[in-house]
Amino acid sequence: MDKLLDTVLQMLEGSQITLEIFCITLVLALPLGMLVALGRLSPVRPLSRLLELYIWLMRGTPLMLQLLFVYFALPMVGVRLPDIAAALLAFTLNYAAYFAEIFRAGISAVPKGQYEAAKTLGMSYPLTMRRVIFPQVFRMVLPPVSNETINLVKDTSLVYILAMNDLLRVARTIVQREFDMTPFLIAAVFYLVMTAVLTWGFKKLEAHYGKY
Amino acid sequence: MANTESELMLRMHGIKKSFGENEVLKGIDLTVARGEVLAIIGPSGSGKSTLLRCINRLEEIDGGSIEIEGEFLAVTDEEGHAAYAGAKKCRELLSRMGMVFQQFNLFPHMTVLENLLEAPIHVKGLAREEVLPVARELLNKVGLTGKEKAYPSELSGGQQQRVAIARALAMKPDIMLFDEPTSALDPELTGEVLKTMKELAAERMTMVVVTHEMAFAREAASHVIFMEGGHIVEQGAPESFFSNPKEGRTRAFLQNML
Ligand SMILES: Nc1ncnc2c1ncn2[C@@H]1O[C@H](COP(=O)(O)OP(=O)(O)O)[C@@H](O)[C@H]1O
Ligand SMILES: [Mg+2]
Repeated sequence: MDKLLDTVLQMLEGSQITLEIFCITLVLALPLGMLVALGRLSPVRPLSRLLELYIWLMRGTPLMLQLLFVYFALPMVGVRLPDIAAALLAFTLNYAAYFAEIFRAGISAVPKGQYEAAKTLGMSYPLTMRRVIFPQVFRMVLPPVSNETINLVKDTSLVYILAMNDLLRVARTIVQREFDMTPFLIAAVFYLVMTAVLTWGFKKLEAHYGKY
Repeated sequence: MANTESELMLRMHGIKKSFGENEVLKGIDLTVARGEVLAIIGPSGSGKSTLLRCINRLEEIDGGSIEIEGEFLAVTDEEGHAAYAGAKKCRELLSRMGMVFQQFNLFPHMTVLENLLEAPIHVKGLAREEVLPVARELLNKVGLTGKEKAYPSELSGGQQQRVAIARALAMKPDIMLFDEPTSALDPELTGEVLKTMKELAAERMTMVVVTHEMAFAREAASHVIFMEGGHIVEQGAPESFFSNPKEGRTRAFLQNML
């Protein structure tokens, strides 16, 4: 019993790295994704094309490859980042691209008439975006953002290859040391709890904003 | 009553507008005096919406001039380029106009009351307590007292359009523009919207109405314009216009509408 408790405690420590990557990525990638989406939709062609290229690269290559690139290739050209920063850079750039596409679809789905109505009421562009467009986009993107967020929980386990002691790596270390599969089961429970909490949270949000 | 200068609410002169190669407005002249209701009729694609949307700059004209209550919104210089007034002046002039769309375009995430309060509070910077009585009064006027807390999706099309009218009125415009306000409605719901519009007209609101409702034009309009192919084909007071149209194309169109 003591051993089990000890295992759980060690894994709780591992889950901290996992949670850290998850939270910081989310906090950075959501606003960045919104900026990229607005840039993609802007009439400034070079900007829009550049961001299209960025999104294509991020979505067209494995996140694993991007992680390895930031971790191993960047130091070769003299850019040396701390482990966690390297992981966060790759995760944020990758997830911002996915969020950008979700937001872009959401913004494009708001009918032109909404902008026109706002304009005829004298609303400026920033006011229109803030008061009229974003609230509607927010509601529309909740389900896909919820999906991506749950993917992110599981994707954090990719830092495993960077020798960072996240939940999965801690589990494997114990499994190899003790020849006992329990840590894998515990890890599964940890991930399930995290995704369950998120699913619940997004359901609440959807219910709250779905009343119209 | 004579149309003295001071009463002139809207004057458009030589309005030209193209979309690419497609010239949609080929030199339109019109004036609207205070308290007048101008009805614009014509076949689909004749440029009615475009003309209406040029009035409040949802579309920009290529040539001609637009005057709102004697002040220039847009003028055309000697080289033939249309130029708009400065940003501040434009905003001020455009704020004197309200618009009602075919598709209502209510803000779906706001309740009826919030739809009405939005612009007065966030554009004019008025206090909520100040606008609330005005908004309630307007809802009462369009017959929607009790629907304050409803979302647009919970209302019928006719109710939504009446909210849209109230929302535009909440900004206290001098001129109201309507683009086929009943065309998206089931026939049994057009009556309630037209009734609201007739009441507005009776209160001497200046209105420009693009419509397919000939009975409304005949009854409520002070002047009717028939457009086709980007031109004004015929215009006049409703009595003579409807009972005695001069142009063959007008007659053919009116025949079709019956
Ligand atoms: N935003 C636009 N871009 C290109 N063409 C347009 C646009 N708006 C209208 N048109 C064209 O202008 C013509 C007149 O349209 P419109 O003013 O909507 O006519 P109406 O309201 O009389 O039916 C049509 O041929 C239409 O295809
Ligand atoms: Mg039209």
